[in-house]
Amino acid sequence: MATQLQFDAKRRKAITQCSRCSFCRAVCPIFDLTKRPIANASGKMILLKELMEGKLPLTESVAQAFLRCTTCMNCTTNCPSGVDPQEMVKSMRKDMVGAGFNNLFKAMGETIEKYGNIYGETERHDWGRKKEKAPYTLFLGCVGTYREEESVQETLRLLDILKVDYTMVDEVCCSGVLEDVGYSIKEDLARRNIIEIQKTGAKTLITTCPYCYRVFKEHPSYKDLGLEVKHITQFLKDFDFKVKTDKKVTYHDPCDLGRHAGIYDEPREIIRKIAPNFVEPRRTRENAMCCGAGGGFRGAFAKESVRVARNRLSQIIEDTGAEILLTECPSCLHNFKNAKRQKQKIEIYNLTEFLAKLHQGKVSSTKEAA
Amino acid sequence: MRNRNEEFFKMIKKLIEIVGQDNFTDQLEELVPYSYDASMNVYRPDAAVWPESTEQVLAIVKFANENKIPVTPRGAGTSLSGGVVPIKGGVIIDLSKMNKILEVSIENRYARVQAGVVCDDLNRELARHGFTFPPDPASSSVATIGGNVATNAGGIKGAKYGTTRDYVLGLQVVLPTGELMRTGSYTMKCVSGYDLAKLFIGAEGTLGVITEVTLKINPLPRHAMTAVATYARLEDAGKAIFQTMTSGVIPSVMEIMDKVTLQSIRENTDIALPDAEAMILTETDGFTWEEVEAQMEVVLGILKNNHPVEIKTARDEKDRLNLWKARKSAYATLARVSHSFVLDDVTVPISRIPELLVGIQGISQNYGIVVATFGHAGDGNLHPQILYNEYDPDQVERTHKVEKEIFHLAISLNGTLSGEHGIGISKANYMALEHNPVEMDLMRRIKKTLDPNNIMNPGKRALD
Repeated sequence: MATQLQFDAKRRKAITQCSRCSFCRAVCPIFDLTKRPIANASGKMILLKELMEGKLPLTESVAQAFLRCTTCMNCTTNCPSGVDPQEMVKSMRKDMVGAGFNNLFKAMGETIEKYGNIYGETERHDWGRKKEKAPYTLFLGCVGTYREEESVQETLRLLDILKVDYTMVDEVCCSGVLEDVGYSIKEDLARRNIIEIQKTGAKTLITTCPYCYRVFKEHPSYKDLGLEVKHITQFLKDFDFKVKTDKKVTYHDPCDLGRHAGIYDEPREIIRKIAPNFVEPRRTRENAMCCGAGGGFRGAFAKESVRVARNRLSQIIEDTGAEILLTECPSCLHNFKNAKRQKQKIEIYNLTEFLAKLHQGKVSSTKEAA
Repeated sequence: MRNRNEEFFKMIKKLIEIVGQDNFTDQLEELVPYSYDASMNVYRPDAAVWPESTEQVLAIVKFANENKIPVTPRGAGTSLSGGVVPIKGGVIIDLSKMNKILEVSIENRYARVQAGVVCDDLNRELARHGFTFPPDPASSSVATIGGNVATNAGGIKGAKYGTTRDYVLGLQVVLPTGELMRTGSYTMKCVSGYDLAKLFIGAEGTLGVITEVTLKINPLPRHAMTAVATYARLEDAGKAIFQTMTSGVIPSVMEIMDKVTLQSIRENTDIALPDAEAMILTETDGFTWEEVEAQMEVVLGILKNNHPVEIKTARDEKDRLNLWKARKSAYATLARVSHSFVLDDVTVPISRIPELLVGIQGISQNYGIVVATFGHAGDGNLHPQILYNEYDPDQVERTHKVEKEIFHLAISLNGTLSGEHGIGISKANYMALEHNPVEMDLMRRIKKTLDPNNIMNPGKRALD
């Protein structure tokens, strides 16, 4: 049975708190692309205000409008009035589903349940790294596993080169993304992951995907995991890589790693060790623009998502003139690779992938004497 | 909203023909955000378009005029007066997609831009050449040049660098009758014919749609020094301000914050502030350090002579930003502590600032409504931020009364209703306070001459 949207004291406060200054226009990746006020946070806060006041009926197209957000959190970081619009968007998506406005992610939930991954893939690559016991367990996530396999291969190779004693598990989707698009995490999948990971006896879980990192770290369904959770950049930051590149390198902060998890310095510490010619984009760290892949936006609006990535990529190239763009998020990597035009000469890698390639001489480098 | 009758569908068809399906909307959820700005006024448009060229704007306005459909030009919609809220419905012309910087001519000291160019984007481009467009409204990260011109936007550096008006050399305007006019020049001086450009600056889109602007640009000052002084008596702060402004030195910044603002910042942030009646933030800038320091010496002398509680100075970037912290956080802190607010921009002759501040505090106490005031003391432009709850009818009524009394007070001090936000809907009822019947009549005649069918942002500024 459909329910009404709930406007409790907390939501009412957030809605009236928005002063409609529209400063979020400057940081919203979808607004940047479309110039439509409904795309950015203040537009959505206004819709909520009218929904709350009963001036605007909740219709299919209003519910759709709330899917047009990457939840990149740039609006939150830059809101003078202290509103967290992306959190509102996520919670309203749930309410809208509750009110009977199911969205296309319902099907994704069913796919995840059935296949254990967001794509409905039935065959999973065997990376040949499974051991019975190891101090570290590596978790890849769906995008890396099924869409960025080459990059993952290199990441695994890097861990081998660095002689990390790690294992992998028969992982299933962490399913946290469902929470952001109106639905709920799949408890049985969470339990399966916990059991598989715990079997390895590992003390530390390393994730390559920043979103998985957040889910393992923050979501109540994973509270019994009992392992230290580290993003791979946190894990690698103190290693000595013994390689360098003289290429001009820049870095894109994934929203889930940066604004959402506060991890800005670790990837930079690694990059500074290997790339003296490192240059920041103009919009970076807390102010980095989104690649357009997050919050279900890529799933719901694939074409626009790639256009957002194209926008960000062009800006990075224009700002930095870099030859290499590094990031450490399979979704950002995937979106940027899809967005890159042939005439753009920049090479795009996950940081760990790039490190492995440097070691193997697959990109021009100056190897240090061991 | 108007009825979706045959006429309405004719309008839709024509607008789509002009701008294309992708640059048109009549979807309710897309029109809702266009019913607002940063003021409390709410009116629905019937449609919105995103033209991509002056030719398209021309065709839209021509059609609107022939069919008597109201149109409202809109930039980023950051206005605080309801200036872009379509009180008579009709079509929103959103100029955000006309955002090309057409020409930067350093050798001739001008930049020519489309109306939808964002201020900070222009300044980023100009900075590469060591130049700037000085007016710096707080919304510069999103505000468009067209909107700046339409509201004659100012900002923090108004006392030394003036407002948008001082930089507009020429305009391209689509007139309400559907004709394209270019007025002004590319030169630093020009007395050829009536100064028509000035008529459109600050006209809040009631006389035409500005599509292109030629702006005078300034070399960027290379250095700046900052000082902050707090005062236990408002009168002392007031004296320090007008003595500075008449000392021979014109500081690039001369801001004031009253005790309500300071208290709110102290209680709601971790910024340490003394318990004082007023705080002054000032800056001197220039081409060389010698010049900057010599000016600051004069300013500091005056600040010291007026019994400050405390004075701090800074010259390197990090320390300067630290001194700016309280002022920069004023708006946000006040926005966070209240449900809703009205932000006004009354302006008085500089020496009357203490009277305005004391008067506002009195009005605030009389009505039991919190008013925090801060603003640009160097040009007499203050921002009383009236804090209230929009869902409490009693507070709404008292807020209206507070606003009315503040306007009366400002006018009684030889001031004006609006220094930089414009009249829009919010202040339309008070126009007669400031402008005598002859002037009001002339304004209406000008409007009628240019816009005989009253289609161009109608219902604003008591012009109808």
